[in-house]
Amino acid sequence: MSSWLDYTINGLIVGNVYALVAVGLALIFGVSRLINFAQGSIYLVGAYIGWVAVVQLHTPLPLTIIVVAAAAAVVGLIIERFGLRPLQNSVRIAPLLATIGISFVLDQLVMLTFSPNPRALPSQLPDVRFQVGGGTIGPLDLLIAGVGLTSALLLFVFLRYSKLGWAVRAASQDRDAAMQMGVDVNRVNQAVFGIAAALGGVSGMLVGMYYNQIDTAMSLQATLKGVVAEVVGGAGNVPGAVIGSLLLGLVESYGVAVFGTSYRNLFAFLLLVVVLVLRPNGLFASARQAPPEPLTGTFIAPSRPVRIPRWALLAAAAIFAVLPFFPVSFYVLQTLINAWLLGMLALSLTLVAGTMGQVSLGHAALLAIGAYTSALLSLTLSVPVGLAVIGGGLMSAALGTLLISPSFRLRGHYVSIATLAIGEIVSLVILNWESVTRGPIGISGIPPLSLFGYDLISPSSIYWFSFAVMVVLALLQGRLLGSHLGRSFRAIRDDDIAARAYGLSLNRYKSLAFIFGGFAAGVSGGIAAHLYSYINHETFNTQQSILALTVVILGGLGNVVGAIVGAVALVGLPEVFRIAAEYRILIYGIVLLLLVRFRPQGLLGTI
Amino acid sequence: MTANVPEPLLALSGVNTFYGQAQVHFDLSITVARGHIVCLLGGNASGKSTTMKIILGLVKPRSGEVTFDGASLIGLSTPQIVRRGIASVPEARRLFADMSVRENILMGAFVRNDRDAVAQDLDRMLTLFPKLGQRLSQRAGSLSGGEQQMVAMARALMSRPRMIVMDEPTMGLSPLYVDRVLELIRTINQEGVSVFMVEQNASLALEIAHEAYVLQTGKIVLSGPARALKDDPRVRDAYLGGSEAA
Ligand SMILES: Nc1ncnc2c1ncn2[C@@H]1O[C@H](COP(=O)(O)OP(=O)(O)OP(=O)(O)O)[C@@H](O)[C@H]1O
Ligand SMILES: [Mg+2]
Repeated sequence: MSSWLDYTINGLIVGNVYALVAVGLALIFGVSRLINFAQGSIYLVGAYIGWVAVVQLHTPLPLTIIVVAAAAAVVGLIIERFGLRPLQNSVRIAPLLATIGISFVLDQLVMLTFSPNPRALPSQLPDVRFQVGGGTIGPLDLLIAGVGLTSALLLFVFLRYSKLGWAVRAASQDRDAAMQMGVDVNRVNQAVFGIAAALGGVSGMLVGMYYNQIDTAMSLQATLKGVVAEVVGGAGNVPGAVIGSLLLGLVESYGVAVFGTSYRNLFAFLLLVVVLVLRPNGLFASARQAPPEPLTGTFIAPSRPVRIPRWALLAAAAIFAVLPFFPVSFYVLQTLINAWLLGMLALSLTLVAGTMGQVSLGHAALLAIGAYTSALLSLTLSVPVGLAVIGGGLMSAALGTLLISPSFRLRGHYVSIATLAIGEIVSLVILNWESVTRGPIGISGIPPLSLFGYDLISPSSIYWFSFAVMVVLALLQGRLLGSHLGRSFRAIRDDDIAARAYGLSLNRYKSLAFIFGGFAAGVSGGIAAHLYSYINHETFNTQQSILALTVVILGGLGNVVGAIVGAVALVGLPEVFRIAAEYRILIYGIVLLLLVRFRPQGLLGTI
Repeated sequence: MTANVPEPLLALSGVNTFYGQAQVHFDLSITVARGHIVCLLGGNASGKSTTMKIILGLVKPRSGEVTFDGASLIGLSTPQIVRRGIASVPEARRLFADMSVRENILMGAFVRNDRDAVAQDLDRMLTLFPKLGQRLSQRAGSLSGGEQQMVAMARALMSRPRMIVMDEPTMGLSPLYVDRVLELIRTINQEGVSVFMVEQNASLALEIAHEAYVLQTGKIVLSGPARALKDDPRVRDAYLGGSEAA
């Protein structure tokens, strides 16, 4: 039984590690107003470079730290130069999406190089513990604390006494004014990306040593924790990020002490949501301070959408409708069923992110809610599957909207953070609410799809069913976009201040968008549950949220036909080209990057 | 006639500027002679600040030429233009609010590497702006508007510029401070720095300017020596704004 002092020490040590990630995020946000979703990937890269250094090159610890910091810094510089600098004059959402794409690419490259299996990362430090009061502390704890303090000191000296440090501070307070003093903002960006990456890389290595284990799942976790700590401390506020990190470490550690390990992340995300809702500028920002998110400029790339004639759409729909009559393989139908399910999710996301401008990174949570609701309704209450799926859609619409509603007053990148956190919370609640969701065991034996008492078992019947549902949802959404309501959605996206001045209630319209979008996603999740017959808390994960986002951007944000075309393309093309599963995520990341860079309006154009 | 006119320090010629579809400048031509104070007058949204941004490279013109000391500025980045010798006092001052007054002033010398001379110049600023002496370690964001204007001017001078561009330096100041600012601009100019300033308050600006231009919805409608413009009835109409004047 550990003492409270132990939990405190543990919380502070973990907080130190978070601080190394969060400080980098804060520096980058300060200068570029960008939340760098690739920060966790650099942390991952740092951990694996540390592994190569320690296990294969047998470097001594001080040299390992230097090697990791230097190598990670180089990765950071490359990201800045080739991933982000070309987007400087792009729409505001572009750099955020680019960092997501970069993070997918980096994570997959690490996975392909080192395999997804966890590895041990020995710290080479003696395994002793010293008594401190009622708790104990080990050499690794001291190392982490030492690295944290040294980094903070170096950073302070850099910002306070070096010329480049002054430039960083000036640029983060007023970029244009700094340029008018002769500050080269590109160099400043380079500097902060280099520093952020060095700190992040070292952090990843230290965490690997702390748990004596590294694996590729570390990346997303680190990004999430760093973002939580940074936002709690106030985005762009470097000392705030340190305090936010220590606070997060403590909250988690005490939470684990009281409720158990599986609750650790739940506390982190709850803290984030509470801070975002109550003090979106962080705990330490003065209340008067303007939100750091820029309020002007186009958020999504404007374009003239490609007009597809009605007869062509009808012809395409007819061809897909009669496809099962032809001798197509089971494999083709299976692939298209997946595309239709993803298409429904994409319809939902293209409405919320494209038409309404709320770029959700947690859309898979809506799938999960729909899937669990439909599965449980049919299993425990013996509701007919057809009705259960509709129930899943309704539950997703209601619960999804309710969960997201506290963040309706947020804007831009903050919406993305909040939805990401809410998505994680949903998955953690599913994991921990064992009496209802059966926790980590998951739900098995979910009955197959059925309609009016007839089981839909044959691939063609499942194909027709999912295709028909998607087409109906698409038609409804098309009607919606053309209506007055659709125009109000876009007015809010393009200028919420003007829209409000016009008398539009933002909350009401955002709710309506999430209700409609939640229904479509919930139905997709419900159908999926009955197809898979087994689901657990990991079935619907962040990767799917990002995949859906890529689909939506590929098709053109807000574009209904584009969402379906994007889904067919992203599901179908890897099959056509027989791309092995482990390369797919890599390809999706690259597609996202290329789109953001060269065709931000997507294939069919934004609406 | 152009043969023996000395080459101007700054020249904009035939500049057309757009924000998206909207055209802000129509064939704009302005020159600033060496050692002169030139004032650009105009009503709200006539494109004055955008003219400053064109000079500083913050906004790129769609067509036209901008030269400084005979060399083109088109295609240069803002820091490169600053290094050519143009300092700026931006609209609404734009101090680095969380940095101290001293740090703000020293940021003005960012392009310089002669530390000792910079320290001397800082002392010189304190004689030019004596009130800033007691405020050096204070957060710049906590100063009054007039004090902030002094800091912004000191900051601009610290780069030892050949020319200063100022965007409405008297905006929002009390009459006392307005007089001080105008007097300082004259002093700066007498020390050899050319000044290009944007103003809405024509009568004040024409007091100290050598030449002036009047901008109306992106077009120069009037220009000439300040003394001549001061008595021109059209000036009053023009700077009061576009539509009413017509
Ligand atoms: N970044 C921008 N994007 C789009 N339009 C802009 C931008 N900046 C200015 N404008 C528009 O260009 C026109 C000229 O603006 P500018 O700021 O140059 O005017 P100004 O003469 O300085 O006005 P003021 O007296 O209000 O300072 C205005 O209609 C303004 O709305
Ligand atoms: Mg202006």
